[in-house]
Amino acid sequence: MQSKSVYKVPNGKLLKIFLDYNEKSNLINKICITGDFFAYPEEAIDIIENKLKGEMLDRDELVDRIKSIVTEQGIKFIGLNVEGLVKGIMLCKHE
Amino acid sequence: MSEEWRLLKTGFSNAFANMAIDRAILHANSEGLVPPTVRFYGWKPPAISIGYFQSLQEEVNLDACKKLGVDYVRRITGGGAVFHEYELTYSIVIPEAHPKIPKNIMESYGKICGALIKGLKHIGIESEYAPINDIVVNGKKISGNAQTRKRQTVLQHGTILLDVDFDKMFTLLRVPNEKIRDKMIADVKERVTSIKHILGKTLTFDNVAEAMKKGFEEEFFVELSDGELTEDEKGLAKRFEQEIFSSKEWNHRR
Repeated sequence: MQSKSVYKVPNGKLLKIFLDYNEKSNLINKICITGDFFAYPEEAIDIIENKLKGEMLDRDELVDRIKSIVTEQGIKFIGLNVEGLVKGIMLCKHE
Repeated sequence: MSEEWRLLKTGFSNAFANMAIDRAILHANSEGLVPPTVRFYGWKPPAISIGYFQSLQEEVNLDACKKLGVDYVRRITGGGAVFHEYELTYSIVIPEAHPKIPKNIMESYGKICGALIKGLKHIGIESEYAPINDIVVNGKKISGNAQTRKRQTVLQHGTILLDVDFDKMFTLLRVPNEKIRDKMIADVKERVTSIKHILGKTLTFDNVAEAMKKGFEEEFFVELSDGELTEDEKGLAKRFEQEIFSSKEWNHRR
């Protein structure tokens, strides 16, 4: 199942997520995180996208998973945050 | 005596060369080959630049670009899509460890925007920094800015609008829904301004560049001395232009 969400992060930027997931297993096949936010280093977004492949489409699990990637990689977001990113991902599921 | 930085006036180039030159300066500076550098430039032909994380197809009407002779390029910096036509574009490249640039990213945006605000004052415009990355005059955006940090080096580039053609801008940038195109244009007209709109007259690129030069000198307490790209930088820029910025792989990657 392929879907897309558009989500304005509160006090931040416009996030547009393209998600390919398995409706039965609820697992992420592929995700593309786009928008006019800033992330340092920029490669961080590629890393997050890769590490989310095969992850469960579950709000709390995604928050924990992304928080740990952010800490591990020393990622800084501007105009975006982990909660906003997960909100954008979960909106794809509800569409 | 104040510290001397390099000032580059590279004139008008195409989108791919413009982004390649900024990246080449970043590389040269990170290797200690060139001093901190401020560059002023323009775009010919006009072009759309999109932020590093944006989806090209989602943001840009590629057919309209082709029809109107407008190039498009993905930047190495985040942020949003920009239509570059009547504007002065600047870039600044400086080591992250340089004492004159704040370590904190948001503070460094504020510092660099401070130079532009001082520059605008020289042409009679009172403006203020509007975080995250804008400068506004009476609440309307006149400048957008984007920063990356790579190779322990800061690169920030941004625009100062000399004039703006809203209708053309929204022919080139995709709007979510054609039915709301007119409303979007009306909204953006309320939120975006330019030197021409504020002063009621056109200032030349060179007039504004001169004012911005003073702004950078005052904000950073430095002297900007006219310089040229080094042969190394020119070679690197040519390579980046061909291998990265003009490639479909780069521009269509998202």
